[in-house]
Amino acid sequence: MKAVGARLPRYDGLNHVTGKSVYVDDVRVPNMLWAKALRSPHHSARIVSVDTSRAEAMPGVHAVVTHQDVPHNVYGHLEALGVPADEPLLAEHEVRYKGQPIAAVAAESEDAALAAVETIDVVYEEREPFLDIRKALDPGQPQVTPEGNVFRYYGDQVPRQIRKGDVDRAFDEADVIVQGVYRPAAMEQAPMETQVALVVPESTGRLVVYTVTQAMYFSLGVLAAHLKLPMNAFKLVGGTVGGGFGGKVDTAADTISALLAIKSKRPVKWRWTREEEMLCSSTRAAWHMEIADAVTNDGWLLGRRTMTLHDAGGYTRFSSYGATKHTFHLTGAYTIPNLAFNSYVVWTNRVPSTAMRGFGVTSVSFAVEMHMNRIAQTLGMDPWELRLKNANRVGDTAPTRVVYSDPSTVTTLLEAASTAGVELAGDYRTMTSARREGALLPEHLVAQQGDTGRSNGGSR
Amino acid sequence: MNLIVNGEERAVASPPLTALLHVLRDELGVTGPKAGCQQGGCGTCTVLVDGEPRRSCLLPLAAVDGAQITTVEGLGDLDDLSTVQAAFHARYAAQCGFCTSGMMLAAHALIEHNGGVGAELSREQVQAALGGHVCRCTGYVKIVDAVIAASRGDVEPSVGIAPIPGEPQVETPGAPA
Repeated sequence: MKAVGARLPRYDGLNHVTGKSVYVDDVRVPNMLWAKALRSPHHSARIVSVDTSRAEAMPGVHAVVTHQDVPHNVYGHLEALGVPADEPLLAEHEVRYKGQPIAAVAAESEDAALAAVETIDVVYEEREPFLDIRKALDPGQPQVTPEGNVFRYYGDQVPRQIRKGDVDRAFDEADVIVQGVYRPAAMEQAPMETQVALVVPESTGRLVVYTVTQAMYFSLGVLAAHLKLPMNAFKLVGGTVGGGFGGKVDTAADTISALLAIKSKRPVKWRWTREEEMLCSSTRAAWHMEIADAVTNDGWLLGRRTMTLHDAGGYTRFSSYGATKHTFHLTGAYTIPNLAFNSYVVWTNRVPSTAMRGFGVTSVSFAVEMHMNRIAQTLGMDPWELRLKNANRVGDTAPTRVVYSDPSTVTTLLEAASTAGVELAGDYRTMTSARREGALLPEHLVAQQGDTGRSNGGSR
Repeated sequence: MNLIVNGEERAVASPPLTALLHVLRDELGVTGPKAGCQQGGCGTCTVLVDGEPRRSCLLPLAAVDGAQITTVEGLGDLDDLSTVQAAFHARYAAQCGFCTSGMMLAAHALIEHNGGVGAELSREQVQAALGGHVCRCTGYVKIVDAVIAASRGDVEPSVGIAPIPGEPQVETPGAPA
């Protein structure tokens, strides 16, 4: 335990300050080719035809790939967990977002690759895009996928749902109902290092993949699946990442670079421009969150109803997982006994969304905390006191019915108040996370309490 | 054309309109300067041209023919860190490390322009000088702290970790092998 609390030098600190850390774009190998991709200029279109013959004939071009070259084109990042595969590595019949890759070229220079990409002739039949998640359940909207615009959990269940307690009764018994709508926009992670990949074929056929991924084993699985190769056909070299923040969880450049390396039998490097990073790489999702709370005049939260919409973009990727996490966190750090949550994953003709600094949770935390302030304002109550009163305590149960054995809400709030120089009233200043009793255990919170399996449920 | 890169004269063959960043990285193999946006917006590619911080992605080779170019590789080495490098290391100012070389070169120039180590820069001076540098790990507080520390010479070069005022003193074991 010597390391706990000690100020240790970073293992990569000296390399960082001397410029010796090797990022993917710093790796140079002989005979390297450069990749560029043809991307959709439309949010939504049917692809009538793709003609790469002029690109293939250009000097300096060593490989051109389309969907026809991909051994297993349509894959899903969560296919192994039963989420249906829906995303092609290279678009075939249609494009569902602006910037979706359709073809890629490996050539002697980036300029040569770009010139070749510009000669690829694609005939599109443009379609009206669907861009507003708020219209997801309206009839007559453009359809993003053959299944419609809303993801179905387990094949038939439309929203991710949570039901707990008796929410109708809570709303009947409420003194006040407080409603709010919260709509954080999509956000690009914008790491300083853009997506880069270098794939070097070895004489044995093994591919050495220099990757910026944040998730080596995800990338390995995605590579092996699309290319229909065993995992030991790859050696991934990674770990030095010039910022990711979730934007390097989805496999972006590795697989297409590997495909080009296989076809050209040469090392291939693909580095995305800043413009590609901002426009074509996955973002944090946009959300539309409607919250209605049943509240008493003295500041107890009796019940909560929510309807939230998650903008998945054109393909599912990890969205169903992100929305599940989001739903589990819809009470925030507070105990509300009666719940009805409906969370929808909505496909739109936007770039697919993914993780960013608290996948699915940061956005809901924003909404929940804004809503707590709104409740405090409505009741004329101190927002610290509202939070401390309803804070999770030992024995309280989460929306998932998990019993909290060591919640930190009270400790965190008291520390935050102290840091912010907020003077709390005596009753609140001395609060702990201990199991509810007395004034902190009103009748409506009795039934939701669970057994932590401890004789003394903690004393913090 | 010629460049004097970190004190060494190098003949270069890239076309005259090639960005200095690419001459350094692609022709000369000097990879300390990083390509962040290649639009002059982020500061990661910053190098010193005759002692002045410049964005190497926007500078055509022809404009810097014969100039003295300093990159992070020219600031100091593992066994001989410059004051700025030592301060960045000791105060955890590098997170992912991608913006670090640009930040350090701008900081180095700022300190030199104010009379060198001992300059005792203010927070506002440092913020103004590094305003054009983006760190997406959002580690700005530690970066500014490190530059101020460096300007005061308040750093133990290459060994140990400087204590932060107000934090409990903990015996620091050596660096992991």
